[in-house]
Amino acid sequence: MFDLFSDIFTYRDNALTRIDPRAKLVIALAALIAILTAERVVLPLCVFGICLGTVIALRIPPKLVAVRLAAPLSIMAVLVVIQTFFTGTTPLFTITFAGWPFTAKVEGLRQGVFLGAKVLGSVSVVFLLSIVTPAHRIFQALRWFRISRNWLEIAILMYRYIFVLMDRVADLAAAQRLRLGYTARGRAMRSFTALAGATIIHSLEQAKRTHDAMRLRGYRGTMPFGPLPALGRRDRGLLALSLTLIAAAYGFFEWGIR
Amino acid sequence: MRAVDVQGVSFTYDDGTEALAGIDFCVEEGEFVAVLGSNGSGKTTLIQLLVGLLKAKAGRIAIGGREIGSLTAEELYQRVGLVFQNPNDQLFAATVEEDCAFGPRNLNIPETDVQRRVTESLAAVAALSLRGRAIHHLSFGEQKRVSLAGVLAMRPAVLILDEPTAGLDPAGEAQMMQLLKKLNREERMTVILATHSVDMLPLFANRIYVLDRGRVLQQGPSEEIFCHQEMIVRAKLRLPYVSRLMYEMKRHDGVPIDGLPLTIGEARAQLLELIPKEMILPGIEEIGP
Repeated sequence: MFDLFSDIFTYRDNALTRIDPRAKLVIALAALIAILTAERVVLPLCVFGICLGTVIALRIPPKLVAVRLAAPLSIMAVLVVIQTFFTGTTPLFTITFAGWPFTAKVEGLRQGVFLGAKVLGSVSVVFLLSIVTPAHRIFQALRWFRISRNWLEIAILMYRYIFVLMDRVADLAAAQRLRLGYTARGRAMRSFTALAGATIIHSLEQAKRTHDAMRLRGYRGTMPFGPLPALGRRDRGLLALSLTLIAAAYGFFEWGIR
Repeated sequence: MRAVDVQGVSFTYDDGTEALAGIDFCVEEGEFVAVLGSNGSGKTTLIQLLVGLLKAKAGRIAIGGREIGSLTAEELYQRVGLVFQNPNDQLFAATVEEDCAFGPRNLNIPETDVQRRVTESLAAVAALSLRGRAIHHLSFGEQKRVSLAGVLAMRPAVLILDEPTAGLDPAGEAQMMQLLKKLNREERMTVILATHSVDMLPLFANRIYVLDRGRVLQQGPSEEIFCHQEMIVRAKLRLPYVSRLMYEMKRHDGVPIDGLPLTIGEARAQLLELIPKEMILPGIEEIGP
């Protein structure tokens, strides 16, 4: 759970963390558009490969990668299975489950892999962005792109208090565990329900206290955002180069290979 | 002019709990005042009234000579700042710099001034090196200092702190109190401290208010406050440990101690006068087993 939100790598100093967040956002957006509009499986898989290679080069622990990619990989697996067994006409193989025969089809498998690759490629782009850019820099960049202040304010507060609430939940859960709260299924269910209720109450109390603290420092309904300096020459060059590469890759993989 | 002037203020919560019952509370400019009381004595209610988070049901509160109700939010929060007991209540931005800049940016001052205030306030709490760090990567002591910096960036004339040393280790506690002393003595900032921790107060506070069940039991300099043993017990407080030791030695062992020392320095001076010179061995650095 804690690994899912860990952001210590975004504060490391490397070539990718030094890039302006606006440039990274635009490059990520371009890559996402390319993946989502791709009609062949190669481009999404290439993007996934590049992102994964970069993640390995940045020495991100495999456990963190596995935790972050677990959900999209599960979605991909479900997509592949559903498409394989319920789409297409050309039989590939048949399996029997609980007395029912299920036939995998070639067209379904292709479609499943294609959709799964899109999910994987898109998620890997967002994952890479999230491990080379601190959240507050992304919020700053989004504000620069004129994303709604209210939306960003909620996102900032959610991001900040995830860590506070996680600490509290961990303490409460440990206190329950130390008093044998999870030793039987029924007891565990009751403990978990109590934990969930306590977390909601904690978050409401926290919200009240935080709002008081914000009011005392002049908050009047809109959170101020720090300005971002003009995009530097290096970042502009990098942005142009990246967009050109994405366009070239799109052209090559989508229209070039037959 | 009085920095804070509270006259006959009462406050009762919606559930009928009477938190304050007609209290008077005054703080002069540049004073370091401690509000001492046990849990439920009304300390937190009093400080919430002083910063306008609660509205008094009766009485008058003036900050810097002006009634609190006549001040706009901008005016009030540049006069008085509150540091919460739990820094997590107060640190809501993602990074130290963003959090410290929150208040000044709300004042709509130029960004260069915002940055100057951030630098100065972080320097004042010895946290400049934390500027780019994420809040959730800080230790508890660092969070405490950064939450103080966030309030200092508003440049309030009166600084109010709710249990500033709660949860800190002894070194962090001493560092926090030294910081407050520096702000008070060097920057001439008025400091009001709500606490039930008595040991450090004689070293720092000019005056102490003792609250019990919403009433002021006693107010005055620490030597005056701590000589009223019965009142201290009634307020569910205690003497500083060093004073307690000297008091017990005087009462039970007949050691001729003059008055009641409140600090280690005072106690040491008195004991040295009582111990024959030939018994004192010079140069002992460590206490053996």
